[in-house]
Amino acid sequence: MSNDVQRASSSDAGTAIVAALVTLFGVAAINDTYDYADFDSAVFPRTVAILLVILSLAVLLRWLAQRAGFAAAPSSETVENGGSWLRRIALVVVMLCAGFAMPWTGFLLTALVSFGLLLVIAMHDPWTPARLVVYPLVGVAIVLGFYFLFAKLLMVPLPVGSWFR
Amino acid sequence: MSGFEALFAALTPLNLLLALAGVISGTVIGAIPGLTATMAVAVLVPLTFGMPPAPALILMGAIYTGAIYGGAYSAILLNTPGTPSAIATTLDGLVGAIALLTLAPPLSRVALAFGPVEYFWLAIFGLSLISAISEGSLLKGLAGGALGLLISCIGVAEVSADVRLTFGSQTLVAGINVVAALIGLFCIPVLIDLVATPGQHLQVVAEPRGFRLGEAVRVIMQRKFNLLRSSIIGTIVGILPGAGGSVAGIVAYSEARRAARPGEHYGKGEPGGVIASESANNATVGGGFIPTLVLGIPGTPPDAVILGALLVQGMRTGPTLFTDYALIVYTFIWSLLIATILMLPAGLLLGRYAYKSIITLPKALLVPSVAFMTIIGTYAIRNSISDVVIMIVLGVIGWILGRFGFAAAPIVLGLILGPIAEQGFVQAWTIGSAQQDLVGMFFGRPISIAIIAFTVFSLLSPLLMRRWKLKPEVAHVE
Amino acid sequence: MARGRRFILGCAAIATAAFTAAAAAYPTKSVDYIIPFGPGGESDITARLQQPFFKQMFGQDLVVSYKPGGGGAVGWAELNKHPGDGHTIMGVNLPHIVLQPAEKNVGYKTEDLTVVYWFHFTPDAIVVKADSPYKTLQDLIDDAKKNPGKVTFSGSGKGTANHLAQVRFDKMAGIKTTYVAFAGTGPSNTALLGGQTSAAWGYTTSAASLGDQARVLAVAMEERHPSFPDAPTFKELGYDLVSGAYRGIAVPNSTPEDIRKKLSDMIGKINADPEFKKKMLDGGYAMLDVPYEKNAEFMEKQSKAFIEAAKEAGILK
Repeated sequence: MSNDVQRASSSDAGTAIVAALVTLFGVAAINDTYDYADFDSAVFPRTVAILLVILSLAVLLRWLAQRAGFAAAPSSETVENGGSWLRRIALVVVMLCAGFAMPWTGFLLTALVSFGLLLVIAMHDPWTPARLVVYPLVGVAIVLGFYFLFAKLLMVPLPVGSWFR
Repeated sequence: MSGFEALFAALTPLNLLLALAGVISGTVIGAIPGLTATMAVAVLVPLTFGMPPAPALILMGAIYTGAIYGGAYSAILLNTPGTPSAIATTLDGLVGAIALLTLAPPLSRVALAFGPVEYFWLAIFGLSLISAISEGSLLKGLAGGALGLLISCIGVAEVSADVRLTFGSQTLVAGINVVAALIGLFCIPVLIDLVATPGQHLQVVAEPRGFRLGEAVRVIMQRKFNLLRSSIIGTIVGILPGAGGSVAGIVAYSEARRAARPGEHYGKGEPGGVIASESANNATVGGGFIPTLVLGIPGTPPDAVILGALLVQGMRTGPTLFTDYALIVYTFIWSLLIATILMLPAGLLLGRYAYKSIITLPKALLVPSVAFMTIIGTYAIRNSISDVVIMIVLGVIGWILGRFGFAAAPIVLGLILGPIAEQGFVQAWTIGSAQQDLVGMFFGRPISIAIIAFTVFSLLSPLLMRRWKLKPEVAHVE
Repeated sequence: MARGRRFILGCAAIATAAFTAAAAAYPTKSVDYIIPFGPGGESDITARLQQPFFKQMFGQDLVVSYKPGGGGAVGWAELNKHPGDGHTIMGVNLPHIVLQPAEKNVGYKTEDLTVVYWFHFTPDAIVVKADSPYKTLQDLIDDAKKNPGKVTFSGSGKGTANHLAQVRFDKMAGIKTTYVAFAGTGPSNTALLGGQTSAAWGYTTSAASLGDQARVLAVAMEERHPSFPDAPTFKELGYDLVSGAYRGIAVPNSTPEDIRKKLSDMIGKINADPEFKKKMLDGGYAMLDVPYEKNAEFMEKQSKAFIEAAKEAGILK
């Protein structure tokens, strides 16, 4: 049941950036709470946001302390994972585009196209003629299978898309 | 026990079929390397949205049971002979399910006594478990929890009529749906990393050599105390709000190590270790359903997904569940027992014959399939494309946070327990102020006092565990 | 040019015929009935009650789907994006559609919603546990006068019908009670049963679902509700409180007039059916008939009343 997320050590620059961004979010949230008409709505988010700011600042400070050599670096080792950044970004972009395109292109078309794209993105092994035929077929089968399962059997109104109306 | 009518209902062909289908699909998805049990539940549960409540619950419970078992496959098949663990796992699941059957009904009668204050303290208690599950930096874990709490406030407030933290976005007015967030936070980061590297060609080291039941039973009987203790630990951890299989695994493993007899070498594939940690997981299934059904507070992360799914069904959990929906609930509990028993033959057969094909499933097909399932599953929650986009965005944020030490589990805990904590707090505050006895309200009620005591204990537990040198080096987080 | 004019007249004639034909033929396929809440609530239950009658009377399926979020706002904000051929309808609720846009930017304005019928309401009611020391409404009022602020009411949400009823009644009776908001009628009822609050501001429907476990002290109706013959109305006891949550049906604003009218008639027909009425009344609902023509007048009256009450409650500035 292991989670494949690899973690960088605490003295990574990324930690600092993330901590800073989280702090900013907390501050923005605190600000937002002053606009609420009802005090009851503000109590919890404000308290939590203040807590968040304190904690993320603490993370930031500890990072600075480690950089300056004041605090001991943690024993957990850096596990660098390489891996293709291009593919990662492509995955996210395809998924987001699928989400945004759906109101126009409808569910089925979007799903088939994005499945195909993801298939290409995730393919690390060489494309053999057999694979070129089998994989897309399997993909179509999976997409159609779940589409019918959800749309027809479970009556979920999957988007039709304005192109098809 | 109003059990028998429900037992017969659980044994109808349809319900048995659902239980079997759930166990098999859960096991298959849970077994796929890189995918976790929570992912399996998150991705398969949307299938139940269109079903009536009883079959839906049965299917969800069976998927959950199978998924936890499937997740243990890699440990089972790659390092040790499979059958002892399979039997142990089944027995553990039975302990959890029996606990559910016997403890939940009396607890549900007491549940009416749980007022807003008790819910508030329960939520705080659940959050305090972050200190136990935080791997690496406790500080980052707490920050993650606070972040989860904060984003649970996005959208229209339940306690008042204000629209909060939407920063002008119309999409966010609907709030962040917990099931969508769970699907995003648990599935997307895994996909992002899966897609980046070529498939790991896993070598199945130990060729499955038949079932060897006799040997397996002997191995188990030698460790029966370990098994029983791990089951009870798993059940209790399951009952605790928010904490799930991973915490149970850690605690059970530590306890097993402490009680190790000479000849047992922990850390080197000692069966006792696997039995303890991987099998405590299955007891959390039954245990986790207790707070979920009785109080509406999820016992484990997959329970949060199931709770979300029950809300989609319109089924209200809480004290009235056992009175208003008694037949459905008891049918479900019996079905969980049945699913647990079914897990043994299903799991053994799958392990013997199908495991090879499961782990050699080409990544190129796995990634698009799971991605597709997350999208269709998220959409099915409330027919909203915005949910799908939020799911993906949260998933990416979760991945980024995860890379720098902010694990997903505390954030999820915060997200799930946030509304419970907030509503409990505001309601308790309002009632307490009305009666002009705030201190008495928050600290004077007997159940609250007990919960506060547990909270303090759990906050101190990492220090205690370190003193007793219990915290193991290896830690899994769901 | 005579030929040109005749051509145009011909087209107009065909178009009119087509429209009328469309209206006459409507509904030609199943109708999507979108509920802007999750399943299990009053909007859902009443929609489900209408379903079989719709099929029986008009031959087409009424397909219920859900679009929860923002207390209804998400669904209402999207209503006008749906095609306006009458085959997509959406549930609407008062006071929600009046108060929500007034309080903040929720993505729609009250005028954006084209309501064709208001078909029932759930009257406000004060409900207490069966073993409560309050036997009559007066008991509660006396207790509240002796202990200002200490009498607590659970209710569903803030700025909702429950809340407004509490505010208005407090003013009428000259008392001060405390309202505790819960996330829906379910949790509110559970809190009442658990003794967490002294009483609950709910609807006749919640009282109906609680059955013997609860007692209704008063209902906010003109006359007593047939399912609660022992519960007096506020009016009888001297308090002019007739209110509740109203539910109706709306269509996208691109829907043509004659289809709106036809739909209004159809809903009215279902509402007049004695079997349907019985089912609604048994569940604790109160019937109401505000067809399309009367809608503007009804909305104006209700908006005024609700906005005024909301301002008094401090929800609106």
